[in-house]
Amino acid sequence: MSDGSAYQLQQFIPFSRDVYFRLLERIGESFWPLHVLTLLLGVLVLLLALRHKVRAGSILLAPLWAWVGYAFFIRHYAELNWAGNYIGYAFIAEAVMLLLIALSGKGLAKTAPDNRPAVIVGLILALTGLVGWPFIGLLSGDSWYQAEVFGIFADPTAIATLGLLLIMLRGWLLWLSAIIPLLWLVISSLTWWVLLNS
Amino acid sequence: MNNRLSRRQSLKLLAAAITAGLLPSLPVAAGPAAANPANNGMLQKKFGKAGKALPAIGMGTWRTFNVGSDPKLLDARTQVVKAFFEHGGGLIDSSPMYGSAPDVMGYALQKLGLPDSLFAAEKVWSPAGGSAREQVADLKQRWQLEHFNLMQVHNLTDWREHLAALRQMKADGKIGHIGITTSHGRRHKDLEQIMASEDIDFIQLTYNITHRAVEQRLLPLAQEKGIAVIANRPYDGGSLIKGLQRRNQPLPEWAAEECGSSNWADFLLKFIVSHPAITCAIPATSQVAHMQENMAAGSGVMPSASARQRMQRYIEAL
Repeated sequence: MSDGSAYQLQQFIPFSRDVYFRLLERIGESFWPLHVLTLLLGVLVLLLALRHKVRAGSILLAPLWAWVGYAFFIRHYAELNWAGNYIGYAFIAEAVMLLLIALSGKGLAKTAPDNRPAVIVGLILALTGLVGWPFIGLLSGDSWYQAEVFGIFADPTAIATLGLLLIMLRGWLLWLSAIIPLLWLVISSLTWWVLLNS
Repeated sequence: MNNRLSRRQSLKLLAAAITAGLLPSLPVAAGPAAANPANNGMLQKKFGKAGKALPAIGMGTWRTFNVGSDPKLLDARTQVVKAFFEHGGGLIDSSPMYGSAPDVMGYALQKLGLPDSLFAAEKVWSPAGGSAREQVADLKQRWQLEHFNLMQVHNLTDWREHLAALRQMKADGKIGHIGITTSHGRRHKDLEQIMASEDIDFIQLTYNITHRAVEQRLLPLAQEKGIAVIANRPYDGGSLIKGLQRRNQPLPEWAAEECGSSNWADFLLKFIVSHPAITCAIPATSQVAHMQENMAAGSGVMPSASARQRMQRYIEAL
């Protein structure tokens, strides 16, 4: 990567690795023990999705996205990055989209989940976001409140949501609703790449 | 920085060194520089028509001072600012692009009080939103200051509009000096045109021992026009000094005598501030110990023109 393109990328990441770790730690401390509730809600959405109660699952998922948009991005991340507010609004827009899908019924899977590849991949992603992601922190010595948990932190929320969407939705609305989680995961990956290489 | 300079970089450095060798020497002692015992021996470099002077080592805030509202980190950065002023520091540079850095500086200055030597430098930057006047007003609130000594157009964004507004604010006495910035060696032709055609007090650009392209045209032009020069990225974003330290590269034996340097920070910073056209270098750090090292580079023996060439050759040979 050239100096110029690296600079373009760094423009969006004006903080250091240590400060980002501290931010994640502080978010965890601020909201503990809300983690338990959001994680249980995530598991409940997965169970509803697997039992083909996709409308209820989508309705439950929506406020979690709005919460992450506000609490993670607008309230905390935006302190460090001027782009944080915009990302927060994008997360809130995703919440509105999920709610509209649930209320209209459009895009919701008409049949119960089977063993199609999309459902299997969805299940793996959902479990990764709900269970695997927090355990990365726990295995590296973090406390429970420091673990990145679905519904509090952006990365596990986006990963688990992609999986849940694969189980719950069909057609073009599946792809439309996957754009914001996917975009965030690209931004997050680039952020870590820059932080680990600077 | 990779541990080894690439062949292309080495060739560029060699070409620059040969060119530099052909230029007439610019002895620092004859330039507008003087060590002042009243400022911890910090080299003071004159700028502008009024003959004001600035300590040769300033501080940047990119990344290092963007810590949000974290009380622990706010207090840690306050200690860094304290060390800066205790060692005779003056210019602090920030930007609305640097996240919470202006707020963190406001916190630190409230805790420490306003030192007489403070030379507050900020920037206007279009993506931050609002007009130049609105941005300056917002930044004053964030720094909790009445007056900025220097307001710059960040990375040449919308420079015509911003510069016109800043010029008016300077005429009204709202800001002290005006300038324009770039970094990473970008848009040097545009910067040169602005320097030649506009009435500005400062430019800020990237200059360090491995990035010396500005020696060819921009630094001579700055001297000719009496424009002060702030050198950003003195350690090339940290990679230069980390690369040297990681490979346990020893300082050359002659560094102590010819440059007064006992560590790489000192060596790299002295190379920059000993250039006659450079007013101030702005290394950024989040560590008090590193700040102390940086500030020490502003005092003691400064490399002569021939020593500067020797420094270049040494780095090129690595």
